[in-house]
Amino acid sequence: MVLQAILVALVTTCCTWWFSHTITRTWLYPIWAGFLVGIMMGKPLEGMMIAAAINLPYVGFITAGGSMPGNPMFAGPVGTALALVSGMDINAATTIGVVLGSVAVLSWNAYMSINSIWVHAADKYAAQGNLKMVRVCNYVPSFFVSLVLNGIPAFLIVMLGESFGEWLKTFPQWIMDAFSVIGGIMPALGIGMLLNYLGKRKILPFFFAGFFLTQFLNLSTMAVTVFGVIIAIIMYNYNSKSTEKVGV
Amino acid sequence: MPELKKSDLVKNWLLGYSSETCYNYERLQALGNANAFIPIIRALYPKEKYAEEIQKYMVFFNTEPSYIGTVIHGITAAMEEKRANGEDITAEEIISVRSALMGPLAGVGDVVSQSIVYPILAGICIQLALAGNFAGPILFEIIYKVIMLTLGYNMYMMGYRQGKTAIINFLQSGKLNRILEMVSIVGLMVVGNMTVNNVKFSIPIEWTFTNELGVVKFNLQTGVFDALLPGMLPLGIVLGVWALLRKRVQPLTIVGLMFLVGIVYVAVSALLGVYA
Repeated sequence: MVLQAILVALVTTCCTWWFSHTITRTWLYPIWAGFLVGIMMGKPLEGMMIAAAINLPYVGFITAGGSMPGNPMFAGPVGTALALVSGMDINAATTIGVVLGSVAVLSWNAYMSINSIWVHAADKYAAQGNLKMVRVCNYVPSFFVSLVLNGIPAFLIVMLGESFGEWLKTFPQWIMDAFSVIGGIMPALGIGMLLNYLGKRKILPFFFAGFFLTQFLNLSTMAVTVFGVIIAIIMYNYNSKSTEKVGV
Repeated sequence: MPELKKSDLVKNWLLGYSSETCYNYERLQALGNANAFIPIIRALYPKEKYAEEIQKYMVFFNTEPSYIGTVIHGITAAMEEKRANGEDITAEEIISVRSALMGPLAGVGDVVSQSIVYPILAGICIQLALAGNFAGPILFEIIYKVIMLTLGYNMYMMGYRQGKTAIINFLQSGKLNRILEMVSIVGLMVVGNMTVNNVKFSIPIEWTFTNELGVVKFNLQTGVFDALLPGMLPLGIVLGVWALLRKRVQPLTIVGLMFLVGIVYVAVSALLGVYA
C-alpha cells in the first residue's frame, strides 16, 4: 500500500509539474492519468472506468493563461485512487472527483504563484550567461513545489482512503442520492463552457443537430463526428465558391 | 557563418514542450522559453554573448505551446540565425514579433487543442472506457499525441522556413478563420452528442389516482417530459449553464449551484416520502 501510495503521489505530482508536454500533456486529463493510477494499483479495469467517470465533468475543460475552473490534474489520479481503495461506485466517484477538483484549485493557484520565485532566480543566472543553471531553474524547483502541493496530499489521501471508505459507508442513503444527482448534472458545466467557446450564433444550430441526432436516432459519438466532418467539408467548399464569385 | 543544423531545430521544438514546466502567474512561459532556446543560442553565439541573447526570452510570454504555437519558435529560430549572421535584427524586434504573435496563435491553438481534439477524443474514449474497453484510454493517449506532435512539428518547421511575413499574411488572409469555423461545426455536433450521453437528470415523481377507470398512475418524467421532448431536462440544464456563463458567472459558482440542485432534489424526494 505504501509503495502504491508513493506511485500515485508521483503521478499526481507530474500531472501538475509538466516536465514535457510530449509526455505530460495527456496527464491533465483523468481518463489517462486515472488509468495510469489504476495500473499502478493493480486494478486497470476498475481504475479505467472510474477514471473515465471522473473525466466526464471535465469534457469541456478549458484553460487559458493559466486560469482553471477546476483541477482535474488532481481529481483524476487522486479520485481514482481513492475510489479504488474505498470501493466507491462510479457515480460517487464522479462527485468525489468534482469535490477534489474544486478544492484543489487552491493548490493550482499556489503552484502558479510560488513558481514566480524560480523565474527571479533564473534572471540572475541568465544575466551571468549561465545557461545550465537557467535550465535547472526551469526543471527542478517546480517539481518540489508540485510534490508538496499535490504529491504529499495524494499520498495521505491514498493511505487514509480505506478508513474514508468505511466512513462513507455510514452515510445515509439520501446523501448518496444527492451525490449521484450532482454527478449526473456536473458534465453540463464542461459542455456549457464548450458552448460558450464554440457557440457563435451562426453555427449554433449544429449543436442542436448533434443533440437530436443522438436523442432521436441514437447515433454514436463516432457517427455524429463523421456526419459533422462531412457537413463541415460541404460548407467549406460551398463557402469558398461563393466567396470566389463575390471576389470576381 | 554560424548555421542551425536540423538537430538544433528539433531540440528547440522538443524543448518547447517544457514551456510550462515552471508555469507561473508572473511571466507564464518565459523561463520555459529561455530553456527551449538554449540549444539555438549555443549553436549560434560565442560564450560571451550568452547572457545578452538568453535574456530576451525571460520576458512575459504565453501562447498555446503544443499544437500551433510552435510556429512562433520556428519563426524566432530563423530570426536568430539571421541575427547571428550579422543581419540587422535587434533583440527588441525578436521580442516584439513573439509578443505580437502569441495572442492570435493562442486563440487558434486553444480552439484546436481544447475545444476540438480533446472533447471529440474524450467523448469517444470515455464511452469506450465506461464500457470496459481498454481501447478507450489507449486510443486517447496515442491519437492525442500523434495529432499534437504532427501539427506541432509541421507548424514549427513552417515557421522556420517561411518566416514571420508569410505567417502574418496567412493570419490576416481570413482563411484560418474559415477553417476554424468549419472545425467548430464538428466540435458543436460532438458537444450536442455529449449532452445526451453524459448529462443525466430526471424527475421520476409518480402520483397514483383512483377514479372510475380504476387506479391510474401518473409519472411526471415519462408522462410529461419524455412525451414532450425526450432529453429536454439535460438539454435545459446545459443551456442554463451556458446562459450563466455568458453572464460571466464563475464556473465554481455553478458547481456550487449544482450541489444545491442535488440537495433540493433529495429534499423534495424526502417530502414525497421516498425515504419514509
